[in-house]
Amino acid sequence: MTDTEKTTSHLTRRQALMLMGAAGATGLMGPMAIGRDRAFAANADPSGQLVLAFSQEPTVFNPLMPHIEVDEGVYYAVYDPLFDFDPSGEFFAILAADVPTVANGGISADGLNWALTLKEGVTWHDGTPFTAEDVKFSLELTMDPEFRSFRSTGYKLMKNITVVSDTELTWEMAEPFAPMAAILASTYIIPKHVFDGVADKNDSPLNTAPIGTGPFKFKNRMAGDHIELEANADYHMDGPYLKTLIIKYVPDLNVMYTQFKSGDIDVIGLQYITPDHLAEAETLEGKVVKISGQATFESIGLNTTRPQFQELAVRQALYAAIDKTSIIDALYYGVPTPTETYMPQQSYYYNPDLPKHEFNIDKANALLDEAGWVRGADGIREKDGVKLAFSNSTTAGNHLREQAQQFIQQTFLEIGVAMEIKNLPPAVMWGDYWMNSEFDSVVVGLNTLAGADPDTSDYFMSTASPVLGGAGQNTFAYNSAKVDELLTKGALSFVPEDRKAIYQEMQAVIRDDLPFLPMFQYSVIKGWKDDVTGPAPNVNNRIDSWNVRDWKRS
Amino acid sequence: MLRYILSRLGQSLILLLIVSFIGFAVLTLAPGGPLSQFALSPGMTQEQIDKITEQMGLNRPLWVQYIDWFTHMITGDWGTSYRDGQPVLHVIGSHLFATLLLMGTATTLSVSIGSSIGILSAIRRGSLFDTTMTVAAMIALSIPTFWFGLIAIYIFSLNLGWLPAGNMYNIGDQSVLDYLRHLILPASVLALVDVAIWSRYMRTSTLNVIHQDFVRTARAKGLSSRRVLLKHIVGNSLVPMITLAGLQVPMVLGGALVTETVFTWPGMGRLFLDSLGYSDYPVVMGLLMASALLVLIGNLAADLLIAQIDPRVRLD
Amino acid sequence: MTSAPLTSPARRPVIQSRALRRFLSHRLALIGVIMVLSLTLACFIGPHLLPYDELHIDLRARFAPPGTGGHIFGTDPLGRDIAARLFHAGQISMAVGFAVMIIATAFGSVVGVISGYYGGRVSAVLMRIVDAFLSFPSVFLLLALAAFIQPSPVMIALIISATSWMEVARIVEAEVKSLRNQDFVQAAHMLGLSGRWIMFRELLPNAIGPIIVAASLTVARAILLEAYISFLGYGIQPPLPSWGNMLNGAQQYLASAPWLAIVPGVAITIAVTGFNFIGDGLRDAFDSRSGGR
Repeated sequence: MTDTEKTTSHLTRRQALMLMGAAGATGLMGPMAIGRDRAFAANADPSGQLVLAFSQEPTVFNPLMPHIEVDEGVYYAVYDPLFDFDPSGEFFAILAADVPTVANGGISADGLNWALTLKEGVTWHDGTPFTAEDVKFSLELTMDPEFRSFRSTGYKLMKNITVVSDTELTWEMAEPFAPMAAILASTYIIPKHVFDGVADKNDSPLNTAPIGTGPFKFKNRMAGDHIELEANADYHMDGPYLKTLIIKYVPDLNVMYTQFKSGDIDVIGLQYITPDHLAEAETLEGKVVKISGQATFESIGLNTTRPQFQELAVRQALYAAIDKTSIIDALYYGVPTPTETYMPQQSYYYNPDLPKHEFNIDKANALLDEAGWVRGADGIREKDGVKLAFSNSTTAGNHLREQAQQFIQQTFLEIGVAMEIKNLPPAVMWGDYWMNSEFDSVVVGLNTLAGADPDTSDYFMSTASPVLGGAGQNTFAYNSAKVDELLTKGALSFVPEDRKAIYQEMQAVIRDDLPFLPMFQYSVIKGWKDDVTGPAPNVNNRIDSWNVRDWKRS
Repeated sequence: MLRYILSRLGQSLILLLIVSFIGFAVLTLAPGGPLSQFALSPGMTQEQIDKITEQMGLNRPLWVQYIDWFTHMITGDWGTSYRDGQPVLHVIGSHLFATLLLMGTATTLSVSIGSSIGILSAIRRGSLFDTTMTVAAMIALSIPTFWFGLIAIYIFSLNLGWLPAGNMYNIGDQSVLDYLRHLILPASVLALVDVAIWSRYMRTSTLNVIHQDFVRTARAKGLSSRRVLLKHIVGNSLVPMITLAGLQVPMVLGGALVTETVFTWPGMGRLFLDSLGYSDYPVVMGLLMASALLVLIGNLAADLLIAQIDPRVRLD
Repeated sequence: MTSAPLTSPARRPVIQSRALRRFLSHRLALIGVIMVLSLTLACFIGPHLLPYDELHIDLRARFAPPGTGGHIFGTDPLGRDIAARLFHAGQISMAVGFAVMIIATAFGSVVGVISGYYGGRVSAVLMRIVDAFLSFPSVFLLLALAAFIQPSPVMIALIISATSWMEVARIVEAEVKSLRNQDFVQAAHMLGLSGRWIMFRELLPNAIGPIIVAASLTVARAILLEAYISFLGYGIQPPLPSWGNMLNGAQQYLASAPWLAIVPGVAITIAVTGFNFIGDGLRDAFDSRSGGR
């Protein structure tokens, strides 16, 4: 990990963020050179075994198919993207020889023509050489109509992907699209030759025996229990330093913690140590326990098409009636950080000057009184035949959230608002109920960003709301002309300073409008044995193993 | 005999048909769906989900999906898991061992302990032992299995630290001893209810045998009570137990599911819950069919065995 | 469906006083009755005696161990009084248990009596359906149903009933089959009474003994099943307490606050044991062959 920090620290943030820059920024930037190729350092022999535990089971091994967070835990070990985000939000090259920029000629000044150079001498786990054909294949597969692709955003703008040589390819963009680089950073490249003669690309050998260029080779999988990976001796970067990496599935967080305590687990991954165990965990001998921020934020999302939520005063009153501090300090043991926005505080684009939330029942009552919401016989407020009563849903079985819901329910009652808890099994909750905004309100943890890029059009653009007739993830049905305008402007701009201003303004607008009541930015409690080095927080990647190539045991 | 087997098989097939229909209707009529798990993934849009829904044929009318699934099922193609893209039979097969190991151990435990208690109770009918065991069995039948598991974990793992709180083995160890250590708690918890049931049935069965003529005859012939006990009573009272074993299959399977959830045992019960959570219908259907099949086979095998052993039973 | 087989005025003395006498002399059964009665009383009177409301949240009093601060059973992660919650949960869990008993027994009796009375093809079809339901492990079926419905106490009672009616159906069918050709039924036929009358006024009351036994065991089973699905989070949803959902989440605090798991579990065990004892007593009372104990 330290490797990355050293090599990128000489770059200013401006330089790094502008490496995608097109708008007249040529000449300012030096090439992104991260000296991490094998040529520079001979690998020590990989040794030792490490058990990394997740509380969900990775099951999808073709990274271009729909998958969940935990699956990426395996991808980072087995596959490589072209380049990736480091913890400070800067790119470093992996399969690419260098990250394309305007300065190095990788991107044309108008942002429409891209040229990519790949590393030489990289091979797949089965010995086949890795070439530009594989990259072209991967990028095109995402738009194959017969293929169940995990996303189309960005890819659908790519045209004329052309292989120039084994290590060079070019493509054109239908329009300039600033978040494209972030999308490429989460695109794992898969081997074309494995698909030779495969009729149904959804059913390729990758599903059972993934082959990548990554630091670890897939050895075997005990379904329902663990996946065994072994060191790729021919890896093209530094590392790996571990001979065997075991990714273990432990479905229960208490059992996971117990096993971490007893030493059966070396690194505790996704879903991590539960907050109630924090105090004890910090006293464990021989373990490192660290709290680290995540890009996900927790909020009470409102379905803004509901009559109850039409008035700003109501939304403000509800927000004022949430005892955030108690929820965070008592229920979550002070682990997460209170927030006013969707943007993680580690981000370059984070707006620190948003109005601070204040828990104030009197103020909330006053707001509602003023707006003409009158308490009825049952103590619940009403106005123009609309009762201030609504349901709140989340995934059934999430204990901490259920506790928070019940606590909020009580404070809402104090301001004459009846919130009914209506939790649903995950498959129901996140199906049409969520997608088509059939809920009144939800408690949800969302990561609206793609890596370090600030674009959130999918979540806040009015055209991204299925219930308003659009397509996207704007399930709060948030409809703000100002935000639409800012989002459009931001996606077309390639200058980080300009974008920063745009997105900070947008955070302020959303904070004032309150389509969701922001609660806190997630922090998780990670833990590993003290002889393990390497695990490092990275708010720009969804999962711990993003730098598993660097992990060692001493 | 052959005719009997064939007609039983025929009936079983009709049963399976009904079972599959009920199961399929329940699953597919419910809201949500296998793609909802991706709803919170970055970049996933409704457009994309609709496209995939169509590719997977999930937008077809229910009866079309059912007939499609059913015709494939009877030819041995149980579909592909939505989660990991593997054939359903393979997915179930890879979880089968863990469940059979747990069920097998628990059943062995409960049959041996339960039968012994039952026989002793019957012989000493009305004694303090008999009464105690009767009450104990009823209490055991009343304890929620999952709760008993929690308490066992609390005592033996968390407080005493003698046994692991979950999983089937430690990676890297995987010796027989390691498996045993992990097996003790879940198998004992699962066996508790069965011990109670077996002891009850064995008691009744033994009582019936004791009063039969051949036992009296044996006694009259002057055989020692121990020999009478071992040879005649135990042998004969075990016969109805075979039917019981067959009928117990769904119970033990259900119990295994409960136990697996508490002890994070990587078996079919765990798989069932995970698959339900992800709406992985093919696997859920597969598990329902597999368990129904197990139950039917258990019953049939029990009937056939009885006919082999007990001359009083005729099947035709 | 509420043909009320349990309440219809029977012509013959249905519950013979001999059975009642036997039941009353059955020691376990009496213990069972006492257990169930005292638990029921506690659940309905207890909340009025406690100083705390079951929904009142007090984050400063979280995880108070039993006996501290006036909380006899301690408090939960939100600082709510567990005793108050336990009693309210008991009302709900037992209500679900009784609802299941009524629904499952009524439905099972109707299926059983129809199948037994008509016999032949009707019986074959109905009994195959019974077999089909029996060949699912009920937990599988229950979870498959529970995972996809809106969990309310009524729905929970309905889906538990859906997995609990088969036993009654089988018992009633067997009983009715054996009664079908007896004199009083033939006489009823000759009097020109309708099939429905014969089924529900003549045959069913005669099967009342086994039905009552099965019903008492159904309550016990239903309480266990509710506890399990609520434990997994698919059952009754908070803030409404049930014994099962009080256990949901208790696993997480097993090391630090074990009373969260112990208290509701003991309540469940007492209730279920009580009903099982009663069922056992009833069985002995109605079974003319057994001489009692």
